[in-house]
Amino acid sequence: MSILKKAVMGSTLMLVPAFASAACMVKGTGEVNVISNSFPSAEVAANAAKACEGNGLTIKWKLTRESETEIPQALSASVTPYELTMVTNESATQLQAAGKLQAMNDLVEKYREQYQIDDSMLIRFGNDIMAIAFQVNAQNLFFRKDLLEKYGLETPETYEDVLAAAKVLKQEESIEFPLAGTYKSGWNLAQEFVNLYLAAGGEFFKPGSVEPTFNNETGVKTLQLLKELSGYMSPNFLALDTTAVMQQFQQGKIAMANLWASRAAKMDDAKESKVVGMIDFAAAPATYQGGKPATTLWWDGFAMPKSMDGDRDLAFQVMMESISRDVVENNQGVTTWLRSNYKPTRYAAGVAASARGGAAAYPMIPQMTLAHSALGNNIGDFLIGKESAAEALADAETAYRTAAKEAGYLK
Amino acid sequence: MKFKTFALFVGPSVLAMLALIALPLVGVTYISLYSSSVKTEIVEVKTQVPVFAGVVQEVVTKVPQPVLDENGNPVKSWDYVGLGNIESVLATDQIADAIASDNTVDESVGTIDNLINMYYEIVDVDFWAALEFTLLYTLITLPAVLALGFLLAMSVHRAANKHFKGSLIFATLLPMIVTPLVGSLSIYWLFLDNGVMSSLLQMLGLGKVYFLKDAFSIRSLIILYGIWSTTPFAFIIFYAGLQTVAQDSLEAANLDGATPWQQTRYVILPHLAPLMIFVSMIHVMDAYRIFEPVLVFGSNLFANSLQYLTYHTLYFEDNFNKAAASAVLTVIGVAILLIPAVIRNWREHKRGH
Repeated sequence: MSILKKAVMGSTLMLVPAFASAACMVKGTGEVNVISNSFPSAEVAANAAKACEGNGLTIKWKLTRESETEIPQALSASVTPYELTMVTNESATQLQAAGKLQAMNDLVEKYREQYQIDDSMLIRFGNDIMAIAFQVNAQNLFFRKDLLEKYGLETPETYEDVLAAAKVLKQEESIEFPLAGTYKSGWNLAQEFVNLYLAAGGEFFKPGSVEPTFNNETGVKTLQLLKELSGYMSPNFLALDTTAVMQQFQQGKIAMANLWASRAAKMDDAKESKVVGMIDFAAAPATYQGGKPATTLWWDGFAMPKSMDGDRDLAFQVMMESISRDVVENNQGVTTWLRSNYKPTRYAAGVAASARGGAAAYPMIPQMTLAHSALGNNIGDFLIGKESAAEALADAETAYRTAAKEAGYLK
Repeated sequence: MKFKTFALFVGPSVLAMLALIALPLVGVTYISLYSSSVKTEIVEVKTQVPVFAGVVQEVVTKVPQPVLDENGNPVKSWDYVGLGNIESVLATDQIADAIASDNTVDESVGTIDNLINMYYEIVDVDFWAALEFTLLYTLITLPAVLALGFLLAMSVHRAANKHFKGSLIFATLLPMIVTPLVGSLSIYWLFLDNGVMSSLLQMLGLGKVYFLKDAFSIRSLIILYGIWSTTPFAFIIFYAGLQTVAQDSLEAANLDGATPWQQTRYVILPHLAPLMIFVSMIHVMDAYRIFEPVLVFGSNLFANSLQYLTYHTLYFEDNFNKAAASAVLTVIGVAILLIPAVIRNWREHKRGH
């Protein structure tokens, strides 16, 4: 049973009037279909929405682990079966550029008061509010504070510090490797490249165009840094994803990694982890002294497909109900919520520090996914020594150009 | 048989084949001849994104935005490109570059080195890399599956105890029952850092082995997995075939003083030959579509496959038409590989087998 359900039931049992606000405020009848990614906070939202069912209101919420592929397909239909869909900065940008989302300005105005919608939750493209975000996620530095203390090392602030610390930690026998990274060839590896490259001042495209510019000196330096870092990791590094790195931490095999904040709480999960309480979180390291933390900020939220034919009003209310202030209040530890009543836990410290340090949001540029995918497929060749950094980047550029041409972005 | 009776018998199956095989094939081929996209124009857009604790980041950039028609719907284009998508999958331009001698020939090294360089440049292109491993996988697993399947069938066939035989057949079939995705995931987890296999080898004093670090070990794992998971199919077919070997031929061979090897070579193997061809055909079709292990190992860097490439084009590049072209090429590839088996079958058929 979810915490929320417990809270709602508890409130009805105690008949405390102050809890009346926890009851569902949705007005109207009908069916609302929702498709969302499947992670802990999405389940919390789904349960909160489901609590509204009854009195002629039906909510069908599909949690899928294949959201990246399933959602764009669902929204491609001439009439989509879903009234609400979960989006991230990456997918929202894609869907918006394909004209598949609709603006929600009128609904936000109508329900702003009732649901106390925070301005910082609104995702705007120009003047159009295309999505409502509820949580943020970012990679940030996870480290074994006990080991850093043992060797008198400061918390690394730049990758130079990380490399220096890794050199020292090589002699530590209780761990297997000083570093780990989500370097799994493909999307993960490209994400690491994006983090480092943007923080080094790199640009992916010529301003105001879709012409790629990542095949340059900064790109080469970024690849060299990736390679240098990989020298302190498990030789399997190109096969290790977020879950694998998380497990390396939990097993006490590594000392440092730039990992997703959504995995922070798992470090203290005594059922899985041998390092409960030993891991601390800090801003992502910068690529150079005085630079911004090398990470990109991501958000998750909800949007309304353009091709839906259900009740917009009803769907919007269900959405707001699923991410209401009460939901945040009762599930503080689940994720890094965006609502103003969220009280950050220690697991959010790394995201907070990275954001304060000026980390960039992941670029909301439609053709960015194509560049990301082209990089993911090609830069691995450099890390295994098959190609030079310049050759790998040139291959990525060619792959991007082909894809962008076929998508109609490049002539 | 009267034609009418024949037609009534065969009609439903012909209709089903038309609807389920021919029609999709025609559809996919048709789609592969077109290119579709949403019309976009470069527009300056201000995006506002929440960062953390009430802070909002504002970015103004010129990005492609959809062109809308009078009803506010995006304008879509659907253009005939002929073989354009197929050329794009094959990357004919890049291949032509690689083959054009002035780009690659280095006078200081020999012809062989130049050819090797050219080969590396070709398999640097996604499709050819995928084709390389797909063929490698198919051609290595095929003989292994045939040989192992045959050996297993012979051993089980000769196992004396009947009860024991039943459990033996069941155990041998187990790998086939495991879903490919689950099987691949298990292999991945077994050989991951600190996975059961890696830890076991370390405990045995063989040192830490990193199975996922290079092309050789990842490819070997995928190929071994392929052999493990498809041998049971060959086994069960051969085992069934062994039950039909004429006992009198074997006895006659025995009387003539044929050794067990000669009996196998001259009596059993010729009897199983049609089954060998059948298993080969099915295996080639299956192996050429290898997908799950490549997906699970996420190692398109080390081992790509044509099916994975189609999937990647469809989902990650969101390019429906090019994915269709890639699928058409896969079908053509399977057809080419099947030619020898089909020709043999046709000859046997004509000979009246």
